[in-house]
Amino acid sequence: MQKKKNEVKTTNDHPDYSKYAVVFDNVSFFYNENTPTLKNISFKIEKGQYVALIGHNGSGKSTLARLIIGILIQLSGDIYINNELMTDDTAIELRKKIGIVFQNPDNQFIGSTVRDDIAFSLENMCVKSELMEDLIKEYAAKVNMLDFLDSEPSNLSGGQKQRVAIAGTLIRNPDILILDEATAMLDPKGKREIFNLIHKMKDENPNLTVISITHEIDEAYRADKIIVLNDGEIFMEGTPSEVFSHPDELSKISLDIPFFSKLSMELKGISKDVSNVKSMEDLIKVLCQ
Amino acid sequence: MKSVIFGRYSNYNTPIHRIDPRVKIIGMIVFMVAIFLPLTKVGSTSQYEINMSTATNFIILGIIFLIQLILMLIGRISFISIFKSMKTMWFFLFLIFLLNILIPTNPTAEQTAFNLGTLAISYSAIFSTAYVFVRLVLVVMITSVVTSTTKPMELTFGIEWLLYPLKFVKIPVHEIGMIISLALRYIPTLMEESERIMKSQASRGVDFKNGKFKEKFKSITSLIVPLFMSSFIKASDLADTMEARGYDPKAKRTRYRMLSWRWVDTLWLIVIAIFLGLIIAQCVIGTNYMLLLMNII
Repeated sequence: MQKKKNEVKTTNDHPDYSKYAVVFDNVSFFYNENTPTLKNISFKIEKGQYVALIGHNGSGKSTLARLIIGILIQLSGDIYINNELMTDDTAIELRKKIGIVFQNPDNQFIGSTVRDDIAFSLENMCVKSELMEDLIKEYAAKVNMLDFLDSEPSNLSGGQKQRVAIAGTLIRNPDILILDEATAMLDPKGKREIFNLIHKMKDENPNLTVISITHEIDEAYRADKIIVLNDGEIFMEGTPSEVFSHPDELSKISLDIPFFSKLSMELKGISKDVSNVKSMEDLIKVLCQ
Repeated sequence: MKSVIFGRYSNYNTPIHRIDPRVKIIGMIVFMVAIFLPLTKVGSTSQYEINMSTATNFIILGIIFLIQLILMLIGRISFISIFKSMKTMWFFLFLIFLLNILIPTNPTAEQTAFNLGTLAISYSAIFSTAYVFVRLVLVVMITSVVTSTTKPMELTFGIEWLLYPLKFVKIPVHEIGMIISLALRYIPTLMEESERIMKSQASRGVDFKNGKFKEKFKSITSLIVPLFMSSFIKASDLADTMEARGYDPKAKRTRYRMLSWRWVDTLWLIVIAIFLGLIIAQCVIGTNYMLLLMNII
């Protein structure tokens, strides 16, 4: 039955989603029938947007990431990637335009050295061997790992390994980059490095859609859009200032808001208008003016 | 913990390092065959004959030892690592010795080396134990030469290349190569993991070092089970990553690392072939030659 549905549904049958990188239309998924992981999820992510996906553990964030990349296939509803329906048959093809960086730096290091790990992606793309060396160097330079090309994973820090994973992902030239809690296991320095790198990449390539699944509330504030998941359902959706202007509702699902927006809310009426600051630095700047 | 794996790759640039991994693998197999070829003529009756073949065996093993010593010197392999890896072999050696002396041979007075209580220990028991020991040492030496001068990736590629003919009998050679390289990649990671688990279990009061065998066994379980769990998680994460980076075992792939065959490799291969020829020749005519010599005398 599933098959038939896929055959009938062609690109022409659905509304025009060419503006969007990812569209979820009433998607549900479960590992265990009694406890649905995702319930009737619908959202649209525009091309070139930076979207943060937040929610506490077990809210279905990682499952959602795996659905986008087609490692898991939705049980009901439709997922459109770049205006094309995701099915079992199209998953491999659609996945070519999506990159994902997972949480654990060690578990996603495939090659025995940095060089080999980046080359793994190229080998899968059937790039000619002669061309690989230059590409590897180019992308290693992008993530600042040029000096470590022959290092083994055991001699690298978590942040460095994640940077290699980003290089191995970006070298596939994806339209959509998913960060599945890519910084959760890193120290603050490593976190900063990764986020700065991602923002740099985003600036270089404005068409790159970034979906960042994160626990870092401060980081989420830098996104264009925030989607809040709770118990497999979308709890809230909107721009950072919209979402973080509801601290009470967020605290109901044990999510916090960034310290500076808490502070700026408290300062309302007491001090200058600080309601639209975007970071701690901005807040300090405005207050010191 | 890391010293457990003998013959870890050492990053030098010696002539041995530069040999093609395929040649090294073939060479290693030839050496192992040479080491394990039995020269003792089956059913030899005369004591003289047995003595002669034992002597020849040791001479041949001595020659192999010398060759391997030279290879080790050229390849700059540390002898300490070999001694370290032999630490675990003493138990086996003792077991072999025990088995040898317990086989009832009833040695005559002149065959007896010394008496252990009522048990007479023959020269042949000592010799066969020594024989096994020497062989083991030689095997450790040659494998160290290969593994510490060849990058694991190259070794995998070499194995994959040599297994290539098996593709025609529908054996997934490429997948086997990928499995081996992933296994090699994850050895250090799993080592670190087990060290971490051991420490955390020790902090909860598990004693890995002391206690009776049964208690030790129990404490090892507290290491093995979490290690297995984390390996499964690692495997599933890795599979997701590989899939996400476009890996498809059935699809065509290109290669980053190419093996290049140089004329020196051909030369080495010829040398190995000559060595193999000599070993076979020695094996076929060796004992007969000895008999011939004996008859003349």
